[in-house]
Amino acid sequence: MKHLVMTRPKQPPAMVSSQREREADGVSEAAFDLWLQRSLHQLFDQVAKEPIPEELLRLIEENRRK
Amino acid sequence: MSDTTFHDQVIAILPKLRVQALALTRNRASAEDLVQDAVCNALSAQNSFIPGTNFAAWMHRILRNRFISNLRKRRDTTDIEDVPSSAFATEAPHEDRLALKELAKAMARLPGDQREALVMVVLNGMSYEALAEATGCAVGTAKSRVFRARRQLEAWLFGERPESGAALPRPLRMHNSNATSGGLAGQDFSARL
Repeated sequence: MKHLVMTRPKQPPAMVSSQREREADGVSEAAFDLWLQRSLHQLFDQVAKEPIPEELLRLIEENRRK
Repeated sequence: MSDTTFHDQVIAILPKLRVQALALTRNRASAEDLVQDAVCNALSAQNSFIPGTNFAAWMHRILRNRFISNLRKRRDTTDIEDVPSSAFATEAPHEDRLALKELAKAMARLPGDQREALVMVVLNGMSYEALAEATGCAVGTAKSRVFRARRQLEAWLFGERPESGAALPRPLRMHNSNATSGGLAGQDFSARL
């Protein structure tokens, strides 16, 4: 009995090439997104984590007591 | 909502307000002033906040409106050279610092609404719906701003994507002439909002 070997139909080279390009683009996009996210955190996180100025906290607490 | 809860929420959101303020002003000192101004406005208007509604969006909106109001009064501009050195501090390795410096310059070149949108989504973890509410625009507009910001940064930092043979991002290009010639000095920031 002949075994039926399921093979993917052969695609024209142009289609295979554009498919690879799309896959490569997807990887590229994901890599850029990851880099951008990490880099923005590196730029901004330190500022966000700095202590809140005492003057500002005092302002809020004084308003709270009113 | 009791007064205690309101004031606690103000204190809790301050780091995120700082991020938004820095994205808008591109200057640390101005960002701190803006946050303080916004907090003052919020405390004055606390009776207008409806308990149970989105406090973050309300607070971010106040800061944004205060920024626009200040801009119209003062026509503040920020020298792009001020942005990488004084706005951001990083202890990253040398090569990373170069890349971060380029990113900081590119971020400063973005239109203000796009820069703000990108930062609010990526750093403050806002959904597009929350961003739209915080910035007073449609959800589609909010999405578009983030998308355009991301795409523009990619184009500036990595160049146009090649037609074929696309691979992982190429090394950063130093857009020295584009980044400094003319800069952002003198440009009307409010026109971009």
